[in-house]
Amino acid sequence: MMVLDLLLAIQREHDACIGFRFSCRVAMCGTCTLRLDGRSVLACQTPVPQDRDTVRLDPVAGLPVLRDLVVDTAPFWREWAKVTPYLVPHDGLTEPAVVTPDSDERRLIDASLDCIGCAACYSSCAVAAGSRDFVGPAALNRAMVLVADSRDAAAEQRLAVADGAGGVDRCHYVYGCSAVCPKGLDPAAAIRYLRKSRLKS
Amino acid sequence: MARATDDVTAVDTDVAVVGSGGAGLMCVLHAMTADPGLDVTILSKGAVGRSGCTRMVQGGFNAVLDPADSLELHLRDTLEGGKYLNDQELAHTLVTDAPRVVNELETRVGCFFDRAPDGRIHQKAFAGQQFDRTVHRGDLTGIEIMGRLRDQMFRLGPRELEDVRALDLVRDADGELAGVTALDIRTGRALLARARVVVVATGGAATMYRIAAPAREKTGDGVAMCWRAGIPLRDMEMLQFHPTGLLAGESRLTGAVLEEGLRGAGAYLTNAAGERYMARYDAARMERSTRDVVSRAGYTEIMAGRGTPNGAVLIDISRLGAAEVERRFPGMVERTRQVGQDLARGPVEVSPTAHFHMGGVVIDRDCRTELPGLLVAGEDAGGTHGANRLGGNGVAESTVYGARAGDIAAAIAADRPLRTPDAEQVATSVAAAYAPLTRETGEAPFPVTGELKDAMWVGCGVVRDRAGLEECLQVVDELADRASRVAVAGPREVNFAWQEALDLRNQLTVARNVVESALLRTESRGAHYRADFPDQDDVAWSRYIVLRDGADPVVRDVEHTRVSPEVSA
Repeated sequence: MMVLDLLLAIQREHDACIGFRFSCRVAMCGTCTLRLDGRSVLACQTPVPQDRDTVRLDPVAGLPVLRDLVVDTAPFWREWAKVTPYLVPHDGLTEPAVVTPDSDERRLIDASLDCIGCAACYSSCAVAAGSRDFVGPAALNRAMVLVADSRDAAAEQRLAVADGAGGVDRCHYVYGCSAVCPKGLDPAAAIRYLRKSRLKS
Repeated sequence: MARATDDVTAVDTDVAVVGSGGAGLMCVLHAMTADPGLDVTILSKGAVGRSGCTRMVQGGFNAVLDPADSLELHLRDTLEGGKYLNDQELAHTLVTDAPRVVNELETRVGCFFDRAPDGRIHQKAFAGQQFDRTVHRGDLTGIEIMGRLRDQMFRLGPRELEDVRALDLVRDADGELAGVTALDIRTGRALLARARVVVVATGGAATMYRIAAPAREKTGDGVAMCWRAGIPLRDMEMLQFHPTGLLAGESRLTGAVLEEGLRGAGAYLTNAAGERYMARYDAARMERSTRDVVSRAGYTEIMAGRGTPNGAVLIDISRLGAAEVERRFPGMVERTRQVGQDLARGPVEVSPTAHFHMGGVVIDRDCRTELPGLLVAGEDAGGTHGANRLGGNGVAESTVYGARAGDIAAAIAADRPLRTPDAEQVATSVAAAYAPLTRETGEAPFPVTGELKDAMWVGCGVVRDRAGLEECLQVVDELADRASRVAVAGPREVNFAWQEALDLRNQLTVARNVVESALLRTESRGAHYRADFPDQDDVAWSRYIVLRDGADPVVRDVEHTRVSPEVSA
């Protein structure tokens, strides 16, 4: 039984209006994020611990609670938006780029795609969730994916954000983000990459 | 108890887009690209870009990119798969636009699909197709498409009404489309979006079955809304069951799809005795037969007592070697391990799972409906896939038709004025939405939803017959009566029990149409299989069924405008 199944059972049998979100229940939408005994997880992917009678569920940290486990994710996306999170294609990009799968570029990027925007990393980052002046691990991971992409023409503006007040220097390398990512991504490595790119430029 | 319309917050917009999956966001992208000055509003019942099913696409996107492939071949595959029930102009538009949309996703939207060793886009094998034409990103393609599309919204800046469910299309005193009523789930307040154009793109309703694949939001809201507005629906009996849904007991994971590419890559399907039973159903294509055939075969094996004690058949791809399976299907391997099985190392229990609705609103190739100003795109529309959808044609439909809807919405909005919705219609719509919350007593919606899922699974599922369908229809009507009296407690803010009651109403509306249409089609074709009429009858039934609220069903001849089938009866 997953934590999501537990919440659905509570909704059906005990408290019909308990507030929690979910959509896909297969780790693709990233909307059921919560904290189980303090750890940021996807409710749909996390078994209910069988070794005790009670568990503690809290909403994602660092985001305003609307009700029970339901949060407003707008602050997370505001930070995300700061890194120009969309591809800014080079003028000449009119056909799908020819890039071999074993290229350095793709090795780097492919391992960092599949972010579902669940905010588990944001929630587990004391800096992002605490003081709110850090764009946070998810946004910087997205920035890295685009900075490393040879199809993209906006690396400079993203590196400027990474170099700015809310950028990579706010990271204290606690690695909470990489420890909790339900997709196995490594945002801390992305932050290291951006730091190195800045030094080079 | 009608609430005064003064209580309703009003938003005026050029284009109101209902739904934020692949069709909805492609529509926004195209509308705002065509006319950057356009005011576009997204109404999304769930998180913008992170609800619905495009997100959940695993396998990929069918498009003709290889010079050795052809549009004619893709069209023929689509029509063969659809058993020639398709609106051929819609199918033709799908295959013709698909390569352009893949190009756009790669060069404008920012997607990066998997490459072959030469650095060009890799296309993999999918069932029911004569050419390997499925573009993908690993085995979790939807995340790449929806993630990138969602990011485009940060560039474009449409008005995003998140956690806002659309209720009803509303017209003005002359009967012209004027906008859409809605409910803000966070505040519990009613909204009225006056719009020059409304685009409905909410997705299908397969959640009305006990074992089902889609996301929570997919409760047929768009189709039900159009039905209530008197818009005609077609092919409603055509509900696809995906052959390989995961079984996970009572867990919500039950019904989640194990992707089509497994069968394309050589997975075997066996019954409990270890027999590759597809030899008895489609010896030529075996496991790579179309979804309808493979689903029915699995269902028949299970019902004949040849399945596992859990009511499953087995899918086994472990002969490729654990490392290879883990490399090619990491998402699927992880999914099975979560339920204590291991796709990389042995057989996994699967069952057919309700997956996709081929039926829906009657549209033309520009997504127009018979109501001027109303466009419908994606799974809410009917006709593109006929009696059965090919794997990989779903996300193609969402994005191709979403794009077309955006283009045409921008063009229509330039000329079509804002209109004043009839106050009585707005009040009636809002009152109906508030009814479950304001009722003092009544049962909760959850048991009614559960009974609907059971009734549809048993009476209107993979295999149907007249007696079962008639009983199902009766049950659906009884459930609709109970649903009209459900009550939910609690506040109006962020109350998902209330939302369940509103979902249920839409699911029942769609369910009734599915059953009624299934009763009318006295033959078997594609996803619709009648045990009492087991053969395809091309003489009597090269026709499609059109249903409309308050009118008798209409049966129309399919026009074979592009390709004629070889008549088999």
